[in-house]
Amino acid sequence: MGRYDKLLLLVTVLLVMLGALMIYSCTSIVTPVFAKKGVTEFYYFKRHLFTILIGFSVMLLAYRLKPSFLKKNALPLLIFSFVLLILVFLPGIGVSAGGARRWIQLWPSTFQPSELVKLSMVIFLARYMSMPDYRADSIVSFAKPILIMGVFQAAILKQPDFGAAMSLAVLTVSMLFLSGVKLRFLASLAVFAVPVVVKLAMEPYRLKRIISFLNPWDDAQGSGFQLVQSFIALGSGGITGIGIGNSRQKLSYLPESHTDFIFSIIGEEFGFIGVTVVLVLFLILFVKGISVAARAEDSFIRYLATGLSLMISFQALINFAVATGLVPTKGLPLPFISYGGSSLLVNMAAVGILLNISKGEHTEEIINDRELLMKRRARRRITEEKRRTGAAGRIYPDRLPAPR
Amino acid sequence: MSRKRAIILHTALIFSFVMVFLRLTDLMIFSHERLSERAKQQHIKIEDIQVRRGVILDRRGRELALNLELDSLYCDPASLSLDNEDVRKLASAVEKEPKAILSKIPNDGRFAWIERKLEPSAAERVKGLDIKGLGFLTEAKRYYPRGELASHVVGFVGIDNQALEGIELQYDTYLKTTGGKVFLGRDASGRTFSSGVDIEAKGNNIVLTVDEVLQRIVEKELDRAMQEWRAAAATAIMMDPFTGEILALANKPAYDLNKAGRAGDSERRNRAITDCYEPGSTFKIVIGAGALEEKITRPNTLFDVSKGGINAGGKTIRDVHKYGVLTFQEVIQKSSNVGSIMVGMRLGKERIYKYAKLLGIGDKTGIDLPGEVSGWIFPTERWSGTSIGAIPIGQEVAVTPLQILRAYSVIANGGFLVRPHVVSRIVAPDGRVLVSSGENEGRRVISAKTAGAFRDILKTVVEDGGTGQNASINGNEVAGKTGTAQMINPVTKRYSREKYVSSFVGFVPADNPRFSIIVVVYEPKGQIYGGVVAAPVFRNIADQALSYMDVPREDTPQRNPLLVRR
Repeated sequence: MGRYDKLLLLVTVLLVMLGALMIYSCTSIVTPVFAKKGVTEFYYFKRHLFTILIGFSVMLLAYRLKPSFLKKNALPLLIFSFVLLILVFLPGIGVSAGGARRWIQLWPSTFQPSELVKLSMVIFLARYMSMPDYRADSIVSFAKPILIMGVFQAAILKQPDFGAAMSLAVLTVSMLFLSGVKLRFLASLAVFAVPVVVKLAMEPYRLKRIISFLNPWDDAQGSGFQLVQSFIALGSGGITGIGIGNSRQKLSYLPESHTDFIFSIIGEEFGFIGVTVVLVLFLILFVKGISVAARAEDSFIRYLATGLSLMISFQALINFAVATGLVPTKGLPLPFISYGGSSLLVNMAAVGILLNISKGEHTEEIINDRELLMKRRARRRITEEKRRTGAAGRIYPDRLPAPR
Repeated sequence: MSRKRAIILHTALIFSFVMVFLRLTDLMIFSHERLSERAKQQHIKIEDIQVRRGVILDRRGRELALNLELDSLYCDPASLSLDNEDVRKLASAVEKEPKAILSKIPNDGRFAWIERKLEPSAAERVKGLDIKGLGFLTEAKRYYPRGELASHVVGFVGIDNQALEGIELQYDTYLKTTGGKVFLGRDASGRTFSSGVDIEAKGNNIVLTVDEVLQRIVEKELDRAMQEWRAAAATAIMMDPFTGEILALANKPAYDLNKAGRAGDSERRNRAITDCYEPGSTFKIVIGAGALEEKITRPNTLFDVSKGGINAGGKTIRDVHKYGVLTFQEVIQKSSNVGSIMVGMRLGKERIYKYAKLLGIGDKTGIDLPGEVSGWIFPTERWSGTSIGAIPIGQEVAVTPLQILRAYSVIANGGFLVRPHVVSRIVAPDGRVLVSSGENEGRRVISAKTAGAFRDILKTVVEDGGTGQNASINGNEVAGKTGTAQMINPVTKRYSREKYVSSFVGFVPADNPRFSIIVVVYEPKGQIYGGVVAAPVFRNIADQALSYMDVPREDTPQRNPLLVRR
């Protein structure tokens, strides 16, 4: 007790270092596309190193935060991230790129609130599901978080950012699943698929674009281009790869090679061995995360640790699956590795929290939920009383019943 | 938190990792080759680069074909704006019609040649005009400094250096090297990024066996003969009889290699190896060598040719002059048809055919020049009744001049059939010798004794009483044979009464030959006999060649070589 999990930290550091290396490899050759933007050899690399520096600070900060603080502030954090999400649409603050408004201006860079939404959603759900009055078999308990998620989804899809929407949905549903909600509740979520199916039926070209991942070679120059290029990158890597810095696919063949498809470039340069190492590192991260969760006695911490592990692992998995053509092509960064500050900061924060939890010191510090619940009940009773008697009511701490 | 649910979810997640792993195995290991191939296809752009063609040198290193760097004018139609005045100026600068210039400028695209390989002065004039949208690229142009000399050996290339004739064609792969392509990486937009590639490929140089001076002598004498006899064409080949090295090979009419495009078919024909003719009396080498080798006759065996004619299959063949009784040696010396047919009849058609084949008649010599034909001699079962009267005296067979020269070289070198060749060696840019023609690749076909005996007979041909007296040279013994044959009229398929082929083939010095020469003059006017038309050409060539090669003369005191003794 009392020591954080060193392996967890080591794996994270390794992934971040690999990411920095790959970003340098991908962006150091100034291709015409980059050159047009006035980008030099170290442009992306320097910025990424700066982000990493902030990332470790954020990790340290998150490590210092007491879980009780998170528990108390779960709802405010969620509301805060929702506000940021809305700010994206405000002119002057929101930044759009490539036909999507996903970022807010944050000197000297931009921030992507949808990344923060995932983290605050995990904390909120952990808080929500660890409440003593949470009834997994109650449709009301199930509907509340679904409703909240729905509001977030609406904002995220408005941007639009299908990748983020997808990972948020998977994350929320998984956590609800973990809490033991009735399966028919989850099944009922299928009704949300109906409008999607209708829309796709009305606009078949969208469907075609989505399912092009099943056979990208059919339209290798069109809808399948990115995936075909990803395959070529992975395939030409072979077992040992073509050597660091030697990727050809990054020369503007593979769009987003330094962000969403960086995994394919790892495959090209380091081969099957390289991608296996990445896979194993993420697997260690996941197993470490859930074992940290399993050790925790407090329900909130268990949910929190599991949720954060799932958040990182789902993102990594979806990224792998996109790059290998197992799921439709959607832009989603690879945690710790891809270029893009928001994702890195959020995931570093998640690791910071996990590291803190791994110390296993928090059983006593957690706020007594029962007490909180009783306060709430008392408040409700007094309000009702007040309504009945018409008297102005004010609750004083000394009038609260003593904890049992 | 439901423990069961946690196990299910975590298992599903780990299973997903395994799925990704399996997918990666498929993509990166099992599809590795296919996808690498795809990658190569899109990453590599193959570009032809200018190859500096190897040069062609004579046996002493004199350049017969080399490269000049000339400017080629191109335009970028997108940025080109020409008014009529500009077009007129440009046209006059490159010495073309304005219309011709305009026709070369396309409406779209970014590149089009206007005029390639400009003369330096014309390029200067165009540069002086300073018109936007025009540009120059340096191209190597093949240049043949000796013009017409050895045109049929050297050959030539087209504007894009594509090989068209001669050595240029035969050894094209060596001259242009196997390379000539450069592999450039390119990005998705098709831009090449490794522009630092600056490979100038160089072809291999070829050293010929031909000697420029001897070639000049041969061509000069052929030109003179062409004029003197107003001949349709003429061919001469000079060869080292021991090695098969061609020292000179010339055909007239010839053409300037730098203006090869304007040359007609007749000028471009390499008659020495591509044209067949009936050899006439020079073919008597077959029955001569055969009869001696088979010991059917000796040089002094007597033949009664006093009738002046002989019946062969119902057809009478006559001699030009009436002789009495001739020795075998005299039959050859005086080129008696009757005597030769008598020898041929004794030898029999099977053995005539055998010795013709042994001496290389009807087969390609294997010379390393394009377009050689084999000629023909019928196998005996296809001989008609009159063939026995025709073939011994060189009718009903078709040969190339080179075949006859090679057959006489067998006599000159003591019985070996050699492979004629014009390339001595091929030298890589770094000086390595890639190919070297071997020493004597000859194959023994007749005995040294037979060769020696027939050589002695051939010596008498140029002596008093022989048909080839005009070929005799002061101070050196010549061995040779004249030939005069009617040409076959291609329309009537009969022997022409006006058109003859006069030839002389021989070697000097007779007992230790430095070279063998054949001279063939097609359709001489006024005189027809090989001894009159071709023998003097042989003599003139041989005389000068002997001087050039410093071959000692018997009747002149040998020049004392300057030797510094230490």
